[in-house]
Amino acid sequence: MTVGQHEHAEPVTRPALAPSRRPGRRGRLRSDGSRSALATVALLVAFGLVWELGSVAALWSPDVLPAPSTVLGALHTLAGDPRFWADAGRTGAEVLASIVVGSVAGLLAGIGFWKAPLVGRIFEPYLVSFYAVPLVLFYPVMIVLVGLGTPSVVILASVMAAIPMALNTWVGLAGVPPVYLKLSRSIGCSRWQELVRVALPSAAPFVLAGLRLAVVYALIGCIAMEFTTAQAGLGYRIRYLYDAFETTPMYAYILVVLVVSILLTVLLAACERVVMSGRSRS
Amino acid sequence: MTASRVPVGRAPNRLGTGPAGGSGERRYAVLVGSVGLAVLALVGWQLSSLLVFVIPEPLATLRTLASNLGSADYLFDVRVTFQNALLAFVLGALLGGAAGLVLGLSRWARVVFEPLVVALNGMPKIVLYPVLLPIFHLSGSKVVMGLLFAVFPILINVAIGVRELPPVYRKLARSVNASRWQTLVHIILPAIRRPLLTGVRLSISLAVVGVVLSEFFATRRGLGRVVLQAYSGGDYRNMMATILLLVSVSFVLSLLLWRLERRVR
Repeated sequence: MTVGQHEHAEPVTRPALAPSRRPGRRGRLRSDGSRSALATVALLVAFGLVWELGSVAALWSPDVLPAPSTVLGALHTLAGDPRFWADAGRTGAEVLASIVVGSVAGLLAGIGFWKAPLVGRIFEPYLVSFYAVPLVLFYPVMIVLVGLGTPSVVILASVMAAIPMALNTWVGLAGVPPVYLKLSRSIGCSRWQELVRVALPSAAPFVLAGLRLAVVYALIGCIAMEFTTAQAGLGYRIRYLYDAFETTPMYAYILVVLVVSILLTVLLAACERVVMSGRSRS
Repeated sequence: MTASRVPVGRAPNRLGTGPAGGSGERRYAVLVGSVGLAVLALVGWQLSSLLVFVIPEPLATLRTLASNLGSADYLFDVRVTFQNALLAFVLGALLGGAAGLVLGLSRWARVVFEPLVVALNGMPKIVLYPVLLPIFHLSGSKVVMGLLFAVFPILINVAIGVRELPPVYRKLARSVNASRWQTLVHIILPAIRRPLLTGVRLSISLAVVGVVLSEFFATRRGLGRVVLQAYSGGDYRNMMATILLLVSVSFVLSLLLWRLERRVR
């Protein structure tokens, strides 16, 4: 498959669980997959057990690290707390807005860079150097400019999400075999058809990987910025509870953030696999 | 050149990692364009500082930065932040490199740990800072946070690089009776130098970000504290100057590494 040729073009691009692209080994892989799942669950359970037993044996003070059973109890209370849902709603809206704005902007930029590679090369050093996360450092500037609140978070998180999307779309489109485009031109496709029916589907693995990174960076960015300073949101609440010495609810919030991010990662990896396996079969 | 002919004809892996493509003239145009973009950003900054009262002018910011860098107190903060970031990067690189090797070489390790590594990489790790504080205290926590940020790019890139080595490389190593150490130093490391460099580049800037974000939260000294104090005190010139310093250092470092990466074939 063509994907293999530019593996390191964008480092964190490809799904880490790559081998699903070799159809001949599918049977073995499926068992590897279930073994992975089993091992992961076992590791998590072991981690929870050590944490619980350590707390019961009072190896550390409950003020520092409460037992997981206590945290789970707090999680239950949290579910009935309107303040929690307000925080979650705000963070969710911020992340969603950043994903949508960032991935659309990134996709358009990637297509633009493909059509006008000179422009792409001019922007490239900046995109590569500000690859996603360092942009968080601009947050205080953004607050001064736009004010404390949702817009300043969403603007920066969108840019963070747009960069991997743009780079991946560009790499993917540049890797479309020239013969595809020649064929589409020879059968009289319009430029729009060529892009939507031929080039983008051919670049889909890269675009999807870019989307996955965009989602991850939008989440990381929003939470990190809220954590720095904000008025509401999950990241902000963790800091607030820390300052208020409310350790147990703080852990419950941290747990929520971690579990949501893991679920998101798993979901996206699964989506990517479904699309990829459909491709290698065809 | 027509727009559609250029990219298709070019080898895809040149994008981003190949040598600056095309003729010298083209390279020159890209350089001029990139510098022009920076100048444009500067002009935009100047204009917005004239329009919006709170934004300090670029020149004034540079003057503040220069005078800051002359003060021993500020230099101490600079040293604290970059020393911690360096320590975080070195530890993260060693740890990530070792774990990446294991994950790349052993199928067993891959099956057991890969999903966790992927999940941990996608986490907003900064929320763990309050967890780290009681364990590593104020001085150690930011190094650990920087390490957590820095470890994953190297780990993942090394793991993928090692995994995709042609099997013949390792067969060759065995056939010449190379020891494990010799195989690592003379065969594996040279063969994965490009993904390794990519990991190093991402890790360095992430180490800086991890340390500074931690300093935003709670610390005694460091540039992150300077930024947040300047922000809450309304000293935007100082805030801008410090952010400019942080961003330019990580920008220049990753730009240099990126160029090196493209030269390595």
